Amino acid sequence: MDERHPLASNSLEVTIDKILKNTENDVLSNIKTALDDSQQNLDDSVPKLEAEYDKILSDGKKEAEKIEKQIMGSADIEARNKQLMALEDAVDKVFSKALDQIANADRSGDYSNLIKTMIEEATQILGTSEITVTTNAKDKDVVQSTLSQFPGAEMSPDTIDCLGGIVVKSKDGAMTFDNTIDARIERLKPLIRKEIASKFGVGE
Amino acid sequence: MTAEGGVQYSKIAEIKGPLVIVDDVENAAFDELVEVETKEGERRLGKVLEVGNGKAIVQVFEGTTGLSIAATNAKFVGKVMEMPVSREVLGRVFDGLGRPKDGLPDPIADRFIDINGEPMNPEQREYPKDFIQTGVSVIDGMITLVRGQKLPIFSGSGMSHNLLAAQIARQASVIGTQDDFAVVFAAIGVQYNEAEYFRRSLEESGALKRSVLFLNTADDPAIERIITPRVALTVAEYLAFELGMHVLVILTDMTNYAEALREISAAREEVPGRKGYPGYLYTDLSTIYERAGKLNGKKGSVTQVPILSMPSDDITHPIPDLTGYITEGQIVLGRDLFRQGVYPPVNILMSLSRLMKDGIGEGSTRADHGEISNQVYDAYSRAQEVRALAGIVGKAGLTEIDLKYMDVGDVFENEFLSQATDENRTIEETLGILWKIVSKLPKNEITKIKDKYVEQYYKEE
Repeated sequence: MDERHPLASNSLEVTIDKILKNTENDVLSNIKTALDDSQQNLDDSVPKLEAEYDKILSDGKKEAEKIEKQIMGSADIEARNKQLMALEDAVDKVFSKALDQIANADRSGDYSNLIKTMIEEATQILGTSEITVTTNAKDKDVVQSTLSQFPGAEMSPDTIDCLGGIVVKSKDGAMTFDNTIDARIERLKPLIRKEIASKFGVGE
Repeated sequence: MTAEGGVQYSKIAEIKGPLVIVDDVENAAFDELVEVETKEGERRLGKVLEVGNGKAIVQVFEGTTGLSIAATNAKFVGKVMEMPVSREVLGRVFDGLGRPKDGLPDPIADRFIDINGEPMNPEQREYPKDFIQTGVSVIDGMITLVRGQKLPIFSGSGMSHNLLAAQIARQASVIGTQDDFAVVFAAIGVQYNEAEYFRRSLEESGALKRSVLFLNTADDPAIERIITPRVALTVAEYLAFELGMHVLVILTDMTNYAEALREISAAREEVPGRKGYPGYLYTDLSTIYERAGKLNGKKGSVTQVPILSMPSDDITHPIPDLTGYITEGQIVLGRDLFRQGVYPPVNILMSLSRLMKDGIGEGSTRADHGEISNQVYDAYSRAQEVRALAGIVGKAGLTEIDLKYMDVGDVFENEFLSQATDENRTIEETLGILWKIVSKLPKNEITKIKDKYVEQYYKEE
């Protein structure tokens, strides 16, 4: 019924084979190219990946160093601040004990000599012997008796609140010289603090 | 320091602006410290500006508001203003007059030093030549700072100079040596939030422990600003020359300092100079800037980075103008770059570090540093010209090489100049980016770098 030409059938097969062969070659070649490309891409990515990997590592290391610095820095500062506060506490205690001792010190003996030196110092600095001297209630008698050695000096009827020593004013009221023990301590406080701190082993 | 105090005078002749004129004064000395006592017993510090004819003119640092002629006393302390110094000042925060502002007690002083400092013997000065790494690429790479240098930052109102100042303070370090490094930061007339930012920034980065902060805020009396840079420099000199540390001093904003000086000058009725600033502005500024340097036989150094905001961005204004005469170069922040959102907006074409050449190269940074920097400077300058040309003829009218230069300009601004405020770049990283920029150009355009460096670092794209 369906009789084909023998040549036609053979030719078709050959053609099909040829097409199949070509396709196979194409596919194989494509696969090879794709493989090569992939291999090339992989090869190309390695240095990029390595660079990326190194960057991530180095960024991480930097970040870690930064955080370490932050933690160490604030811990150091906190510890130092606590030490400072403890030291200041101790210095204050020493100070207040010393001030108590000064306030309750005996006013006899050398104390009148100290007052005399203080008045001499004040008259010299003010440049006048016409002065009014003020002191606290406790030292009033000692100062009064010392003033007899200073003509031109008079005692103020007022008293001041201080540990000891005197405040000297020129009679015209223009100049005042504070030579109380409080003022002298205040002026020397930084040096005294240093001295006390060195006893605790700080600032040596 | 002696136990003897000074005399207190109660005859105030006049109170004029920040000045108090005291009558019948004997034996007062120039620059002597004065304690001015108000009716309520409040004490303010001042110093003697002039003495003569039985009068003393006293400049009150904390202002004269609330003082009256009748009820004010002036006590002449008998010494100049001194700053207590010791290693303990590191990690501390002080106000503009050097008083603790961090709630902690006064530091235990090792010494008390006159805040006016001692002039450096010019013969004893050592030429600055050692690199300081700030971690900011544009500074390290192209406007390198060296130890002992004074390199100001010229900025403008509202620009990011304070961010940059804080970043430098946090990141700065000396490389290749085990010597101690410290930062002294003086904020002069800054806003409260800026002062807080500086403090917090150093605290949170852990850099506070090697720093000393002096904060004079905008609401503090203007006259205090005269003292702030001086106390800061006194501490810096102590740390540098007594303790052998390398100290970076950042002073911001020197414009506020100059304005305080103008205020005093006006109150003293002195003949005004340019823009009302006193004629001695140059001399006065030099007494601050010249306190930077290195000394023969001493281990430490004082490096200064004063920051000043130029009124109306005017670089010919007396403050930047006179500063530029004294300092060794300048870092100029550009308004255009700032508007583009670039940080730090450093205009390298207007910036210069005069001592850079001695602080870079083999043994300091890297052998190719100078040449790569020059090449990028040249390329960026060309990029600016090309951009201007493109504005006229359009991009289509540019040659291929012009386009490459435009690309160089973009990469320079986006990758080299732009940096996060917490990004600390090493000098190697900085030089790496500079080479990346240069690698955008064909080799025949590279004319300022030796072939051996081109072979080593150039990576054509």
